[in-house]
Amino acid sequence: MIDFALDEELALGAETAQRFSEQQLLPSQRAFEAQRALPEALRREAAQIGFDRIDWPESAGGAGLGALARVLVTERLAAGCPGAALALQPIGAVAQALRAFGGEAALQRHLQPLLARPDARAALVFDARGRWASDGDALSGHAAWLPTDRIDLLAVLSRDGLRLVTQGIVLTEVAGAGLRAAGASELRVDRAPVEAAWTDPAAAALALAHARVQLAALLVGQMHAAADYSRRYALERVAFGKPIAHHQALAFLIVDMHSAVDAARQLLHEAAWRLDAGRPAREAAATALIEAIENGVFIGANAVQILGGAGFMRDYPVEKQLRELRALGLLLGGADAARDDALPAAIAAPIDFLATTDATTQGA
Amino acid sequence: MDFSISADDQSRLQTLRRLGRDEMRPAGWRADRAGAPLPVDDPFFVRMLAEGFGRTRWRAAGATPDGTDAPAPNKAGSAVAQVLLAEEGAYWDRGIGVALPGPGLGEPPILSMGTPEQKQRFLSPFVNPQRPIWGAFAMTEPSGGSDVANIKTRARRDGDHWVLDGAKSFSGNSGRAEWTVVFATIDPALGRAGHRAFVVERGTPGFGDFRIEKKMGLKAYESTSFFLSGCRVPAANLLGGEAYYEQRSGGFKGAMNTFNAGRPAIAGMAVGIGRAALDEAAAFMQAQGLASDLRLRDRLERSRRKLKAALLMALRAAWLADRRQPNMLEASASKALAPPAAFEATSFAMEVLGLAGGRGDHLIEKLFRDVKALDIVEGTGQIQRVVMARHLVGLPN
Repeated sequence: MIDFALDEELALGAETAQRFSEQQLLPSQRAFEAQRALPEALRREAAQIGFDRIDWPESAGGAGLGALARVLVTERLAAGCPGAALALQPIGAVAQALRAFGGEAALQRHLQPLLARPDARAALVFDARGRWASDGDALSGHAAWLPTDRIDLLAVLSRDGLRLVTQGIVLTEVAGAGLRAAGASELRVDRAPVEAAWTDPAAAALALAHARVQLAALLVGQMHAAADYSRRYALERVAFGKPIAHHQALAFLIVDMHSAVDAARQLLHEAAWRLDAGRPAREAAATALIEAIENGVFIGANAVQILGGAGFMRDYPVEKQLRELRALGLLLGGADAARDDALPAAIAAPIDFLATTDATTQGA
Repeated sequence: MDFSISADDQSRLQTLRRLGRDEMRPAGWRADRAGAPLPVDDPFFVRMLAEGFGRTRWRAAGATPDGTDAPAPNKAGSAVAQVLLAEEGAYWDRGIGVALPGPGLGEPPILSMGTPEQKQRFLSPFVNPQRPIWGAFAMTEPSGGSDVANIKTRARRDGDHWVLDGAKSFSGNSGRAEWTVVFATIDPALGRAGHRAFVVERGTPGFGDFRIEKKMGLKAYESTSFFLSGCRVPAANLLGGEAYYEQRSGGFKGAMNTFNAGRPAIAGMAVGIGRAALDEAAAFMQAQGLASDLRLRDRLERSRRKLKAALLMALRAAWLADRRQPNMLEASASKALAPPAAFEATSFAMEVLGLAGGRGDHLIEKLFRDVKALDIVEGTGQIQRVVMARHLVGLPN
């Protein structure tokens, strides 16, 4: 039955993340960006709280709360600094990919070695265009940019499978257009040994849906922060005798930015709910990501616009928010790769937004 | 959080889907082709009465259930379910949904403001009517539009009557209604505190000059203008009686409540029209071998996404209303977003048809003409933004 209320556990998790974000991320986001890293103590604290394991099964040291819980937490962390949110979830979508292909056993086997190393990072690359090449047991490929300076476990997700690499990962530091708090590198893999591989298109679709939902959560959290910051600024800044928010051209823009956050958020929560309910989520996750990417750029650009000249200056957060939002939308093949999955192949079937006819077609 | 539809609501949706496909869409088509609402004695209305439409949900105190008190197939007990039913109903035909018999928009103010005697008098004929009958609601005035608080129709007390003078416009079904709830003011200087609602019965002298508007779309129901000229209404027809207006800030509260369920339902209707257009467009694409055309698929994707987001926002606003939580911001946001998304869907669907859309005989072309009204009724998209701006940035009036 349709219900927008949050369970107590989820609300509590969101509250914890909100407090952590406001106190520890937001005030230091420029420092994180400049240092391209987070202080070790902060990463330890986040690991202890368990932000990255909130949706892992309890047997693997997680809280077993599901995709929606992860979304709520990620939104709040990303409101403070999306680069930091990425760095504080060092395994990220690789965990859900391992689970989708190999269940809890795969999660345990491939992540335990990483958990022993506090600085370890895993990265998931979606090979949307089929450019990564296998040659026997060796894998080669390239990513021009990833928001990390370290990869211990690389998961290359294609439309039909997953390949894991732990050796022969070559990272070259690059400037980074955004998300610098998480690092910025070019990735090259040249005939690296494949440690494990699965072929399972349904699992691939599920892993991709999880990854897209997590990415959309980063976008929604950061766009909310940008919309809210610029709204409050517009109430303080006076021009032509009144707060600029009271000039209707800006009032309507602020309203539309608010609605754009809400639209992206509702699509995101519905997609996360589908993942938790075991319903088909391929289209919903892709749809949520496209909306988040498009609305993120709309909001980021207009947040800068509302601040005018000040918005272009690094003294204010909005120029960073615009760059972060633009950069986030490039990951996982961006909106264009998602468009391939947002529509069913057979478009002639009547639209069923809420899947009332139900889950006869499993397969994420 | 849960986005699944309850089994009960699912079965109501299925019933409405059957009626929509078999009855409502064909009837809406007939009216559209005729360019006029179906006449009062059209057999369609009798069949709909038999299907459970046309009744009030009011019951006399102590009345025992007798099988006639199930809500109409397009009415629900919760605002959330109402959004879903509004969406499904509008998918088949939004105009015919308004044309259906029953107390209509006049029912909520009578239920919320009326005295027990008034509810008995005006709603008991709708408990188990033997033939289709209508009630109506008239607030909008020719000069008012979205500025609904700016009522110019005057009400003057004269002995045991009130005398009404003024003009109303865009009132649904009032030309065929047993009675019409009319909003007037005792003194425009009092603002909302001066507003009064009257139940004006058919045949009351001075209540007339009904003119059925010629519309671009939604031709299946009467949008009526009428005049009140020295129209004498018994004092007993002042909705709520004098006491109601002394206790509260005014009759206007009857129309504009804090827990708004009307705007999310209108948003749902817009989504329903948009969904119908996209289903038709997709079927056309399939038939013409265009189903894999990426340019069309991308636009179809965008339209579906915007409609889905608007539907979720309407459901959230309705859910807040059901929980008696303030939802003005959410209700206005859904009402601001859904109609433009639906318009875009119908306009895109016209382009999919190409020149076949220009012929003027395809369902999509009708949907394109129908949908624009949804961005205008219950407050235009601009008014919704004003309401939202008041909440978000304290935009002064």
